[in-house]
Amino acid sequence: MSLTELVFLVLAVVAAGSALLSMTSGQLVHSALWLVVTLGAVAGCFVLMTAEFVAWVQVLVYVGSVVVLVIFALMLTRQTSATTAEVTGNRWIAAALGVVAAIGLGATMVAGFRGEDIEGRRIGTAGSIGQALFTDWVLPFEILSGVLLAALIGAIVISRSGSDR
Amino acid sequence: MRSVLRSHWLYVALTAVLALVAAIWAVPHLSEPGWFAYAPDPTGFTPPLPTLSPDLFLFPASAQIVLLAVGVGLLVQIYSTAYLGHHQRYRSYAMVIVLFLVAMIAVVGTTNLWVLLVGWEVMGLCSYLLIGHEWETGEARAGAAKAFLVTRIADLGLVLAILVIGETYGTYDLLGAQPLDGEAKNATAIGLLVLVAVVGKSAQFPLHSWLPDAMPGPTPITALIHAATMVAAGVYLAARMLPFYADSTVALTAMAVIAGITMLMGALFALVQTDLKRALAWSTVSQLALMFAAVAASDPEAGLDHLVAHGVFKALLFLGCGCLMHAVGTSALSAMGGMRRPMPVTFWTMTIGFAALAGIVPTAGFFTKDSVLHALESATEGDGALAGGTAWALFVVALITSLVTAAYATRLWLKTLLGPAPGGLDAHEAPLAMTGPLVVLAVATFAVSIGQPFHHGIGVVSTVIAAAGIGLVLLMWRRGSSLDWAPAPLAAELGLDRPFSRWVPRLTGDVASAVVDLDRDAVDVYPRGGAAAAALGTRGLALVQSRNVQRYATVLAAGVVVLVVVGVVVS
Amino acid sequence: MPLLYPLLLSSALFGIGLYGVLARRNAVLMLLGVELMLNAVNLNLVAFDAWFADQLHTGQVLTLFTIAIAAAEIGLGLAIVLALFRALRTVDVDGVGR
Repeated sequence: MSLTELVFLVLAVVAAGSALLSMTSGQLVHSALWLVVTLGAVAGCFVLMTAEFVAWVQVLVYVGSVVVLVIFALMLTRQTSATTAEVTGNRWIAAALGVVAAIGLGATMVAGFRGEDIEGRRIGTAGSIGQALFTDWVLPFEILSGVLLAALIGAIVISRSGSDR
Repeated sequence: MRSVLRSHWLYVALTAVLALVAAIWAVPHLSEPGWFAYAPDPTGFTPPLPTLSPDLFLFPASAQIVLLAVGVGLLVQIYSTAYLGHHQRYRSYAMVIVLFLVAMIAVVGTTNLWVLLVGWEVMGLCSYLLIGHEWETGEARAGAAKAFLVTRIADLGLVLAILVIGETYGTYDLLGAQPLDGEAKNATAIGLLVLVAVVGKSAQFPLHSWLPDAMPGPTPITALIHAATMVAAGVYLAARMLPFYADSTVALTAMAVIAGITMLMGALFALVQTDLKRALAWSTVSQLALMFAAVAASDPEAGLDHLVAHGVFKALLFLGCGCLMHAVGTSALSAMGGMRRPMPVTFWTMTIGFAALAGIVPTAGFFTKDSVLHALESATEGDGALAGGTAWALFVVALITSLVTAAYATRLWLKTLLGPAPGGLDAHEAPLAMTGPLVVLAVATFAVSIGQPFHHGIGVVSTVIAAAGIGLVLLMWRRGSSLDWAPAPLAAELGLDRPFSRWVPRLTGDVASAVVDLDRDAVDVYPRGGAAAAALGTRGLALVQSRNVQRYATVLAAGVVVLVVVGVVVS
Repeated sequence: MPLLYPLLLSSALFGIGLYGVLARRNAVLMLLGVELMLNAVNLNLVAFDAWFADQLHTGQVLTLFTIAIAAAEIGLGLAIVLALFRALRTVDVDGVGR
């Protein structure tokens, strides 16, 4: 077992464990913070899989902005009445479905890709990714920018429309 | 009273026109050969489906009945102008009489069984309306309802009989359905159904009790409908249908038994009544039974002859009874007596009527009863469908009935017309519009006997029996008897009404509650079970339609998982 | 490094995210569950890209797209949650229907 594998396994355990804590924690803010840990560990995994540009984007977008957004949302929607529980009644069905989905997917992966190795020959640097993005993928990229713009305007309209009334 | 006649001339004129048309139509048929000849028409095409085409057809017997109906109807209409002219509902009364006459002509004159049924039902309706004419009194309402309900039972029999005839012969036309050469089919079924029909309509045992209870109706109506014509239509129907069941010993024996029971019972009840109208009603029941006896003895001509004669003299008696009621204000026997001096016309015409009822030469009643008795005696030879023994019993019962009939006729005559007048009675003769019809009917009572057959042996026997009955009563009268005898069972009319007044309601109630129970416990199980199942299903579906986003998502995810698993397993 | 490691991690993250979406009462945390599931997808894409050594960097480019889409999605989602909260004073998903 190489060092890379060892680090990956550690990061994987951290990611899965913090994700579990995030989804089961009773404190809403704790959930958001545990999610930061998860996303950070996943970003580490990206680095180990020779995708350093994606890893930075993950850290910037997710850990930087999305989680901040979530924490703002949590604060803005502070409930006046104390909620009874943070999980609903069908938690056991949800847990069963989650376990079944995870095991099913994992079994499929094991069945399909057992014994395959990642060589890591092509490293996803900013340069190479940018090359690909602005040559081969430029049209989807432009469309995506339009989608983002639309979502941005939509978010502003939706969140403002209630306060105007 | 002349002014009353003048103001109501329209109704009389309407009836007169009807009578005239009917007479012009019917009179030529009187002289046709073949007294009761059916004319089977094998070439005549009759559609297999029921129609309401009138299909008028008369033969001598039905022509006589048509003439009787319109004649008595016209006389009754004239009589009613005086008797009931001041009544506030005279107009509807007079128009219902006209409607009744049309229905009667339809019943007698048509060969289409469905038209016959319609006329038959309309007659029942008119009977109901006219019995209940004085609907202010509870008695009239109860009598009307009873008559209506009891005759409905009979009408059921007629409907079934018509359906059986239609199924058997493939046509609903009386002429087309005539069995040729005695090959009658379904004879017993048709005979018994017809018997049910006529037993109800003609007030025979055990459906007899409605006729005496119909007496609250106006007296002229009793004379027309409940003595002369409608109740007699049952006899006509039985005679007309006779070819269908002439071979059926069962049907004829049943008819004979019913006729025997009814004639003696009616005569005995008539003997003990204290009310003139009710006594005459029981007398009608008894006389109708005599006609049925003739039909049962396979001699419908005698029965129909007696029908005509009885129609004339019983109408006479009822109209005379109306005059007496007009004079004394009630129909109770105790209020009458000594009518010879103050009401000579009524006295003499009713005397003729009672003589005809008792069967004294030379009234029509004698000759036609003579024919009936002769027919019964002929049947005792047993070569008809009726067994000889049954015919013998019927003959003996008819002779006893003759005796009782003579006795009660004499008794009624003595109690109403002779005897001491009750104190304070200021009787006076009825107006001309009422006495006129009496005279006409009295003349007709003799006129009908013209051309009637005469049978020496039976004639002598019946005269002797009638004389014995009359003599017996006269003897008791001379010895000072009040003639008010009423043994308790007879006075209560043997309690034969009890099944209808007590058991039928209870039975109906039991059946109704059983049906309710059945409906609730058996039939309602399905809707209730359906409701419960629907509620259960709704509750199940409500789990899905929970308005809870996460439940939706859960179901969705579970569906995806199941689909993927199934897909993997299958592939 | 075996390809299975990131794939199995992604399966686990997906299951946990699914549980969060279906079980958390708070609408914001439901959205977090969705983010977790998207991240599992990203992990898959990157792993296959690295394994395939694709000339076009398809997996990594698509990962970038997914991240952008996820950012748009959470922006819109949180806006809806805020509007919901303003209207109903609650963000409990099972309380919204009542």
